[in-house]
Amino acid sequence: MDEGSQLMVWDQAVAFLQDPTTWSGPNSIPFRLWQHIWISVAATVIAVVLVFPLALWLGHKRRGADIAGAAVNIGRAIPSFGILVLTVMLLLELGVSVLSPWPVLVALIALAAPPVFTNTIAGVQGVAPSTVEAARGMGLTEGQVVGRVEMPLASPVIVEGLRIAFVQVIATATLGALVAWGGLGRFIVDGFSQQNQGKVLVGAFLVALLAVVAEVGLTLVQRASTPRGVRID
Amino acid sequence: MRRIFRSRAVGAVLALALVATACGSGDSTEGEPITVASFNFNESVIVAEIYAQAMERAGYSVERSMNLGNREVVKPALESGEIDLVPEYIGSINGFLGGTPTADSQTSWDEAKALFEELGVTLLDYSPAQDKNAYVVTAETASANGLTTISDLAPVAGEFRFGGPPECPEREFCLLGLETVYGLEFAEFVPLDAAGPITIAALEGGDVDLALLFSSQGVIAEKGWVVLEDDMGLQPAENLVPAIRMDVVDAYGDDLTTLLSEVSVLILQDDLTEMNKRADIDGEDPAVIAGEWLDENGFPAS
Repeated sequence: MDEGSQLMVWDQAVAFLQDPTTWSGPNSIPFRLWQHIWISVAATVIAVVLVFPLALWLGHKRRGADIAGAAVNIGRAIPSFGILVLTVMLLLELGVSVLSPWPVLVALIALAAPPVFTNTIAGVQGVAPSTVEAARGMGLTEGQVVGRVEMPLASPVIVEGLRIAFVQVIATATLGALVAWGGLGRFIVDGFSQQNQGKVLVGAFLVALLAVVAEVGLTLVQRASTPRGVRID
Repeated sequence: MRRIFRSRAVGAVLALALVATACGSGDSTEGEPITVASFNFNESVIVAEIYAQAMERAGYSVERSMNLGNREVVKPALESGEIDLVPEYIGSINGFLGGTPTADSQTSWDEAKALFEELGVTLLDYSPAQDKNAYVVTAETASANGLTTISDLAPVAGEFRFGGPPECPEREFCLLGLETVYGLEFAEFVPLDAAGPITIAALEGGDVDLALLFSSQGVIAEKGWVVLEDDMGLQPAENLVPAIRMDVVDAYGDDLTTLLSEVSVLILQDDLTEMNKRADIDGEDPAVIAGEWLDENGFPAS
């Protein structure tokens, strides 16, 4: 890239940011940012609702290490774009509107589930057996063991799974624009097609910024959720 | 810009050198094999196969380089002599060479030919069949709103959602042209894909009212959709045309160019749409489709 094209990218980015349609309307930064955030939050929350109870139970029963390992391996092995295209094709066959958020949402849920699942199992199983035995010895019911001992002690690991899932979902939601959905990926895909590298730059920067904010925010939550007694600092 | 200029200059020098060495050979089917290439989509492969098999049936030796890539890949390969013959589109190649494509096929062809010959490549006779941007509505939408031409959209455009490729809003031959030439302001432009499965699903499912497809796509006839007539001539003509290296023409002479031109002018719009449908929707082999077209159009396998 020579000096001239760098200048052009910068000029395009500035022109894009000065365009009034960038700031209001259906293809504006606020609207695309809102779309990006809500689909990422929705996908992560739904993934938690779907897999957390099962993972908690498996962890409590000290079972499922194999399933957790398999889940994380599958989660790592399947490319995000592959899942996305697969869900789009599948839902199109089922007659779901191509412009609805469902194809992207389903793909993102599938991506968010493995880290939540494995970290919950690992976190609960990581609680020292002697601690759990002591809790039982004090007369706690199994439900109380889970709610008052295992979950609080496992919470840093569980929240870490949440953080990994959420940041991954934010990054991957960008791909939704390739299958005609919205979100911040719209600026990257549209900018690329329109040979407007400035628009691509702004879109990429916003996605990166959002991912960093999510990462930092959930790291703080992770620290806050760590019981005082097991904090290292 | 600088790079384009340099590659043109190199191409011209190469072409001159090759033309000079090629002088003196007469009309014959003997010689170096002719390498036929195509762009990376079925229609291009089918037409390239028609050219290739027509030459093979006439006794020429042919090599193939199908699905080579997009124009950014194919044009340099043609200039450098890595490939010799490719089915081009007169409007697209005209614009790519820096010309001004128009709705009139002959004018566009004249200009593109002159520009391409500076690079050592010439155009033979173009086919009646075209593949250009088509503005498509469903049959229900057409009859409910009395639509046959793009101009007919004027009273309803404000309520219509228009879906097309993401670059459409910035292109003269797409949304910009619909706004400036036809004065249409749509309720919304929906970025989809380049006339692919998403656009087709969006039009079929009613997510958009108007969609940008390509005029020769088999799906239009299959679904009974209506292509709105471009009554103001916004779209440049996009007739298929054989683009061939001039040193190959010089080496083989008029017999070769006459044969290819004869084949080219027989490729009609309906033929192209039907062949595309067989390849894109029914999944038939482009080479088989091309062979059958040659059988039916008077170029039998000997």
